[in-house]
Amino acid sequence: MADQYSLRIPALEVHQGKRRIYCFAIDGKKLHSFAAVSRVRRDKEERLQGYQRPEVLSHIRAIRRYLESDGAMMPNAIVLAFDSRVTFVGHGQTGSVDYAIPGELVIPVDESLPEEQKPAWLVDGQQRSAAIRDADLAEFPVAAVGFIADNVEEQRSQFILVNSTKPLPKGLIHELLPETTGHLPPAYVRRKLPAYLMTRLNIDGDGPFYGLVASPTAPDGYIKDNSLLKMLEHSLFEGALYQYRNPVDGSGDVERMLTHLKGFWGLVKEIFPDAWRKPPRHSRLTHGVGIQAMGFVMDALTDELPAEGVRCIRVRDALESLRPHVAWTEGTWRFGEDDEQKWNSLQNTPNDVRKLTTHLLRVIRTAETRG
Amino acid sequence: MSPTYDFLTDEYSPVRVRQRDDQYAHEVVTPIPYNGILVSKAIVDGGERKAGKYTEPQRARLYRMGVRRFFRLPPEIVTLGDCGAFNYINEEYPPYNVAEVVDFYEECGFDEGVSIDHVIFGYESDADEKQADPAWVKRRHISLDLAEDFLAELRKRRSRLIPVGAAQGWSPASYADSVNRLQQMGYRRIALGGMVPLKTAEILACLEEIEKIRAPETELHLLGITRVESMELFANFGVRSFDSTSAFRQAFMDDRNNYHTRDSMFTAVRVPQVDGNPALKRQILSGAVSQAEAVVAERECLRLLRGYDQGNVRIDDVLDALVNYERIVNTSKKRSYIDLYRRTLEETPWKSCSCALCQKHGIEIIIFRGSERNKRRGFHNLTILRSKMNDIDFA
Ligand SMILES: [Zn+2]
Repeated sequence: MADQYSLRIPALEVHQGKRRIYCFAIDGKKLHSFAAVSRVRRDKEERLQGYQRPEVLSHIRAIRRYLESDGAMMPNAIVLAFDSRVTFVGHGQTGSVDYAIPGELVIPVDESLPEEQKPAWLVDGQQRSAAIRDADLAEFPVAAVGFIADNVEEQRSQFILVNSTKPLPKGLIHELLPETTGHLPPAYVRRKLPAYLMTRLNIDGDGPFYGLVASPTAPDGYIKDNSLLKMLEHSLFEGALYQYRNPVDGSGDVERMLTHLKGFWGLVKEIFPDAWRKPPRHSRLTHGVGIQAMGFVMDALTDELPAEGVRCIRVRDALESLRPHVAWTEGTWRFGEDDEQKWNSLQNTPNDVRKLTTHLLRVIRTAETRG
Repeated sequence: MSPTYDFLTDEYSPVRVRQRDDQYAHEVVTPIPYNGILVSKAIVDGGERKAGKYTEPQRARLYRMGVRRFFRLPPEIVTLGDCGAFNYINEEYPPYNVAEVVDFYEECGFDEGVSIDHVIFGYESDADEKQADPAWVKRRHISLDLAEDFLAELRKRRSRLIPVGAAQGWSPASYADSVNRLQQMGYRRIALGGMVPLKTAEILACLEEIEKIRAPETELHLLGITRVESMELFANFGVRSFDSTSAFRQAFMDDRNNYHTRDSMFTAVRVPQVDGNPALKRQILSGAVSQAEAVVAERECLRLLRGYDQGNVRIDDVLDALVNYERIVNTSKKRSYIDLYRRTLEETPWKSCSCALCQKHGIEIIIFRGSERNKRRGFHNLTILRSKMNDIDFA
């Protein structure tokens, strides 16, 4: 019958202790003809069947879009668990190592078989293989690694093992993102510009944040990268930095953004040098609550100003007017007639950020109307 | 709505800034379907327990720019602030004080502001103060006292805000008495609150009673009411404005009246997104529904609907595909919409609509799926409401 045949695929048998694994390349478009994607479900007797997650369609679309773009590459291997219908025919040891033997994998294909009777299971690479299946491409060969499993329980344990690796630490991602070109997942595309601004603030010698942002390559920094990122995102999307942003592609005039930021925060550093020098434990200014609230103050004071005009008398006076009303490093915050709080009781919560912002803006407004 | 949304891939631009890059109804349809906008403090600032609908940076920008620039309003649009009394209907006392509310109105730069009110959730046409629920009596007095304080605060600050007094009541007589007292305080614009659940005849009874004491220059506003069929009657009793989101919300909240035309209502064609529908997701996770099958059926519906719009596909083929998808999605055995879809598809109402959105999006606007299609349908409904309103003679 035409829908029954064998695929013979060049492969390398690798010996890992007592186990054998097989490295090979396969056209991703053909994967689904012999490999099943199982999902967790209960059968009629309430027994657990399969072990997979449902496809995440938005994720698949993003991968698919990438695959259809120029120069797409998918270097990481798809992992398959075979049952004993799949065999390996070795060509005998060649070369100087005895743990890798070239040969052919023989996979029986029967396209009329239902999912659960296919000879291979996808252990890792479900979203990627679905993206290849859907992509508008004639073929897309991918690297694959297979092993022959004795039973479903073993397949399941492999599934858990390959999927339990930790995601990259956030700090590392923030540092890598700006130096990345080419296609990125949507969540990273959004964060790329704020992360780039943060990195530049941390490494540019002429700005107030120079070396102060804690990151994997600046271990002595004491301003939390997350606090700074939040401030930057807020300003980019809703505040003073929006003016330099290109809403069509999300890019922007980075140099003027940096001029704007260095202008404002440079004044902050000059007016509150002591609080700026101290880590968040000893200063609410370098703490998340201070960075974010002062970010809102920046948006309020400089929304309309061009980058080059941020360091001006009006902004300096406004920040000066805060001096008697702040308790960055000691004393108490006087938010209202019967609302006083010890300097370090403020936390990095939405409520405290709002409270502090409202207080700072009110002081500035009062000073402006009086002056 | 987001102007960069891609209807074929159902994707937003990854760099979209919600709200700020998006567009309002007054930016996409002409003529502008409303004369003014109402913004509630509860929506912006939240209350004691609930957060507002805006993120903190959005809220900060609203305060900074003011309501007119934040919503990019043309000069002819009037802005009205209120407290959003329905959001604290279960509290014993309104959660805001007068100074806070005036701060909100002034900092955001509203043209007009409604005094703080406390909704009376009940109607008993014959009950006087002694017979009515004591909680109602108390709420009416709270609203009147706060209206007095509100005026005093505005005078103290020499505010340019136009004050709107909120009248509450449970009967024609109690509403009329509230309006009477507000007039005596000095209000010339009065908003009638708590009338949303009332029948039209009950609203009319209240208006008739109010009419007996209404000063000729006093203008009434109906909070949260859209009853176009009765607007002409209401107008006879001094009603000059109303606010409502119902035409907009019906686009995606109503069971069947989703797409409005001048003389009818149509049911939108439901093609839910396999990965956007929580109920369906659970079905897939439990194994009751095959995800692959659902995805194929979903795509087939969209393909055939678009083909039908272009005249290449027969209506029965579209309906077969919809039946098939409904069978997969509709596992809780809700009733079928297929007969309603047949009418919608046979009459193709979107083809005869001249609004910019129907012209641009064609059949997509009648597909009940995701917020971008649903909001556009809501905007279309607003333009229909506007054109119906144009026929009403507001004396
Ligand atoms: Zn239309």
